[in-house]
Amino acid sequence: MATARIKSEITGTVWKVLLAEGDAIQVESELMILESMKMEIPVESTVSGRIQTILVAPGDAVDEDQDLAIIELD
Amino acid sequence: MKAAVLREQNQPMEIEEVQISKPGPREVLVRPIAAGVCHSDLHFLDGSYPYMLPTILGHESAGVVEEVGKDVTYVKKGDHVITCLSAFCGHCNKCLTGHLSLCQSPEVSRPPEVESRLSIGGETVHQFLNLSSFAELMLIHEHALVKVREDMPMDRAALIGCSTTTGVGAVFHTAGVEPGSIVAVIGCGGVGLAAINGAAIAGASMVIAVDMVDSKLELAKAVGATHTINARSGNAVGEVLELTKGGCDYTFEAIGLKATAEQAFQMLCSGGTATIIGMIPVGTMVELHGVDFLMEKKIQGSNMGSNRFRIDMPRFVDFYLNGKLHLDQMISKHIKLADVNTALHALKSGEEARHVIMFDQ
Repeated sequence: MATARIKSEITGTVWKVLLAEGDAIQVESELMILESMKMEIPVESTVSGRIQTILVAPGDAVDEDQDLAIIELD
Repeated sequence: MKAAVLREQNQPMEIEEVQISKPGPREVLVRPIAAGVCHSDLHFLDGSYPYMLPTILGHESAGVVEEVGKDVTYVKKGDHVITCLSAFCGHCNKCLTGHLSLCQSPEVSRPPEVESRLSIGGETVHQFLNLSSFAELMLIHEHALVKVREDMPMDRAALIGCSTTTGVGAVFHTAGVEPGSIVAVIGCGGVGLAAINGAAIAGASMVIAVDMVDSKLELAKAVGATHTINARSGNAVGEVLELTKGGCDYTFEAIGLKATAEQAFQMLCSGGTATIIGMIPVGTMVELHGVDFLMEKKIQGSNMGSNRFRIDMPRFVDFYLNGKLHLDQMISKHIKLADVNTALHALKSGEEARHVIMFDQ
């Protein structure tokens, strides 16, 4: 099964994860919310498929370009 | 209460009825009297900076305290306040080393498991930068506001809530401009004009304003620019280098573009410092000539003027009231909340300074 990784565009902290492993996800679906410099920044999927693994949890610090989730592609 | 709700990027905001929660222990309910419409709001409206939707934009306001939470001692009902997006926790490493504007602590907002401060029929409305000032009421953390003198006009006070603090603060705090310095400011919107005004207050010997709109260059002169350059000539860097006979000690970029950030660096003399204030879109890379670092040229970012707003803002109020800070010229129009979309559209054109929403009192 081909997979893709959703990456963070920005350094910040995971505020809330909106979906769970196993959930279907579409392009532009919101996967989680990061907080950076007091901004709530949505992380949107760049692919369609099913969430295989969520690599971070609320409260985790994330760096720019860090992998946030692995998606099994449709 | 009524508020301008953004549900989709690049679409007009709609005035909707929004429910606002009761103040938590350390929260303050503020009734805004004035709210500036800032170019930064536009970055979130057009999606160059993503944000959770629906939201209520607006982050530059002044108002009156309506109600306080049970643990709030700093303000009381009736106090005049300016709000600020640089809400600080007060006990993290950044706060305790004096860098309050870099505080990243989430504790000034409500955690996800708690009722949101703003909602519509049970649907969460995401509070913008812990403020959301395009609304008749604001529920904010007590560390997101500062008390100010009651003789300060509220529309001018609102500007101090963001653009003044960002521009003047970049000059005073981030860059630390010394008297006699040569300064150039690229972009003469609200923040750029504040940086020009700040450079003049700091005692810069030459303050060069760079913009593509003649009316803004005229405004720049009115607030302290000694020279102006219309960048439509296509050679702003060359003109600055010629005018200064070798470059500036300090440059400030107040637009948020890759090209102008690079120009700010190119305008420096040896040992000079470029400060990037503008919000460059996420994902954009800035390119510099590596050899320039041998000349000790420096480039740095500035967030909200590296402020300590509880100290800075009352001082800026004094600066205005004693004639040093020129805020009257910054306001091009007073509008109603319902006209906020028109005000944001006017900002896009670059022709006007700032519209300020005045709420019914």
